[in-house]
Amino acid sequence: MTQRIEHLLERVEKPARYTGSEMNTDVKPIGEAEISFAFCFPDTYEVAMSHLGMKILYSILNALPYAVCERVCMPWVDMLSGMKQEQIPLFSLESRTPLNRFDIVGFTLQYEMSYTNILEMLSLGGVPVKADERTDIDPIVVAGGPCASNPEPLHAFIDAFMMGDGEEVIVEVVDALNDCKKRGLPRAERLRRLAAIEGVYVPSLYQADYNVDGTLSHFSPVDSAAPATVKKRFIKNLDAAVYPTTIPVPYTQIVHDRIMLEIMRGCTRGCRFCQAGMLYRPVRERSLTRLTELAQKLVDSTGYEEISLSSLSSGDYSKLPELCEGLMERFADKRVSISLPSLRIDSVVKESLAQTQKVKKSSLTFAPEAGTQRLRDVINKGVTQQDLMDKLKDAFEGGWSSVKLYFMMGLPTETHEDLEGIAELARAAVAAYYAVPKGQRAKGLRVTCSAAVFVPKPFTPFQWCAQDSMEIVRQKQQELRRLLDIHGVTFHWHDPSISFLEACFASGDRRMADVLYRAWQLGCKLDGWNDQFRFDLWMQAFRDCNVDAHFYANRERGAEELLPWDFIDVGVTKRYLRLEYERALKAQTTRDCRLGCNGCGIERIKGLCSLCE
Amino acid sequence: MIVVFEKSMAVRHIGHLDLMRAVQRALRRSGLPICYSNGFNPHIQLSFASPLSVGVVGLRELMDVPVEGECDPAIFAQTLSRALPPALRVIGARAVADDYPTLMALVSGSVMRIEMDATPETAKIAAAFRLFMAGEECVTLRRTKSAEKQTNIRPFIQTGEVKETDAGVVLRCVVRNRQDGSLKPSVLMRALCEMAEVETVDFIAYREQILAMAKDGRAIPLEEYENG
Repeated sequence: MTQRIEHLLERVEKPARYTGSEMNTDVKPIGEAEISFAFCFPDTYEVAMSHLGMKILYSILNALPYAVCERVCMPWVDMLSGMKQEQIPLFSLESRTPLNRFDIVGFTLQYEMSYTNILEMLSLGGVPVKADERTDIDPIVVAGGPCASNPEPLHAFIDAFMMGDGEEVIVEVVDALNDCKKRGLPRAERLRRLAAIEGVYVPSLYQADYNVDGTLSHFSPVDSAAPATVKKRFIKNLDAAVYPTTIPVPYTQIVHDRIMLEIMRGCTRGCRFCQAGMLYRPVRERSLTRLTELAQKLVDSTGYEEISLSSLSSGDYSKLPELCEGLMERFADKRVSISLPSLRIDSVVKESLAQTQKVKKSSLTFAPEAGTQRLRDVINKGVTQQDLMDKLKDAFEGGWSSVKLYFMMGLPTETHEDLEGIAELARAAVAAYYAVPKGQRAKGLRVTCSAAVFVPKPFTPFQWCAQDSMEIVRQKQQELRRLLDIHGVTFHWHDPSISFLEACFASGDRRMADVLYRAWQLGCKLDGWNDQFRFDLWMQAFRDCNVDAHFYANRERGAEELLPWDFIDVGVTKRYLRLEYERALKAQTTRDCRLGCNGCGIERIKGLCSLCE
Repeated sequence: MIVVFEKSMAVRHIGHLDLMRAVQRALRRSGLPICYSNGFNPHIQLSFASPLSVGVVGLRELMDVPVEGECDPAIFAQTLSRALPPALRVIGARAVADDYPTLMALVSGSVMRIEMDATPETAKIAAAFRLFMAGEECVTLRRTKSAEKQTNIRPFIQTGEVKETDAGVVLRCVVRNRQDGSLKPSVLMRALCEMAEVETVDFIAYREQILAMAKDGRAIPLEEYENG
């Protein structure tokens, strides 16, 4: 097979995507491990290798003396068709082992539009695509990650889902399956063992029933091993949690080609559209000592020239200036730069701006999300016009000339005024630039406005909301194009049909699995890539399955409705989310929980949140 | 410091700039006394003798790594070797004086080997190569930095031999660089396919050695070139 792979590599674009052998990927021989885990990322190599979670779990699994973890990515279309033609099964990057030879196949679920890739990868790897067609000799297929918070659209393809922080539960899953393997237990018994682990959901052990109107009527376990409520897992102490000190260093340029140092997990802001903000509660920080130690080890083991301080809201890290200063000083002789990726406009400390500036002057990103104060209050984006203007002024005075403004359109209660507000903000940004005297400001003003289409997500206060129909979204986009025709401003918008499908999957139930399967059969794959996305085939799949897409995307749900993900306890309660939704409709804000506990539900778990003690 | 290294089979698809970055990161990991460029975006100083075409295995590639102060070549080689992924193997290192010419300027050619499976098509390629060597001219499309044009590629090949066994076909030749550059294995193979009237064949190319011209006009391995 090696020879056939080598020859095929000569004929495909970017062959280095498939050749592995990067620094720090020299894992133990697969034959020597008791149990093998294929970490599958359902997107191309460049995307996969930029993902922090994969690096954490790769390191944890390979540190187990009895286990080996290898990486598998989605091949690009040219490689896919070549592999099918040459009958080369999907293989791992490290040892080129076919996917179906692994004991465990694990997918990370980062994005709904990568779901068809999961089916394609299983199929190409010789693993039966449907869970109920797998036998004792097939791998156990598991999945985790943010999209696992609504696992139902994938229930037919994944044997077991892991909910929440993966560091501990993944080891428990591997251990349980290793034990089952030694005892030669049949598949059904293995799955029952998994269902008993806290945080694991085995969909085949549950039954879903529906009302005549299509809503869920009943959802419960049908096996004594399966709990009625699946509780998400939490890492209590991030300092004590495993963090990799060596990570793979790709040869080719990937999306985020740098050390990602996770300085904290969770966010206290409570933006009502943000799923991550709700899912990753409570906020947990790593200490300066631990971060310094990790940074040193990572620089030593990777040779990277850049460290990015990563979290949902890095500006909120309590000791940010000390951290930046400390790291910059420490690595000055090695010319390693420090960057802050997710700058929030209300948390950018002037000092840290000045710090990053020393190294590089790239563009600055601000995320006001909405155009008016009213709508920002609805979404609880605790940012005022004044904050934003102050920060823009700082940025332009500090020598930046390029800023990005991120907005969402189609937010609940949005009106024409809110769209005009976006244009006003853009104009204000331009004015803030020209307010800096010529000669003192950097040349080449660029204000980039991006407006994503709002997608209601499970476990957010907006989980009950309908998405704007595609027609309305298109009208609003037209309107924004007209409004944002301003000198110095560029406007980017998203294809509403992709956002529409995202909404279907985000809020989908088990019947979406049929649509997914059909769409994949029709040839849908790599849907996250504009040039591959085939909306017509997706619509055909909905028709073929007799499923109404608008039922999922464009329907406001009732307060009492049983939602497909209600059986999962993520920490934040449904009651709190509903309360937040009601406050949103009244444009009432909720304070940052660093300023006092809001009773989101996390307080039920003793010793977890340091803010609600 | 001049370093001889192998760019192995597993990483033969890594492009020149990516290879450069991989080595720079290895140098940063190694803790060796390397030199940084000045300026806004400082980078580690490093230069390669000759960029290797993507897809070609390099058995004895050369790079020049400026170092601060004295450094023992054996220790340098050992330290860098530990910092590199196994697919990039250090073969040796040699300290040279500051006035040593840049490697790029010394390159005069290379020894190239092309391996193919034994098939009816590759037998035709072998025959075509014999014809090629016997002839004076072989015009094919070749891309240079500035343009893509019909070029006589025969003068690039100084000597060549072909070996046919049950295992496969091996072409081995000494390539001579000319004013407008070198000859890529893929260009030679395409020309041979045209001659043999074969659509395409699978092959793997190796650059066995980078050559320099010694003072007496002999072609010698670049790493053996003595200044002065």
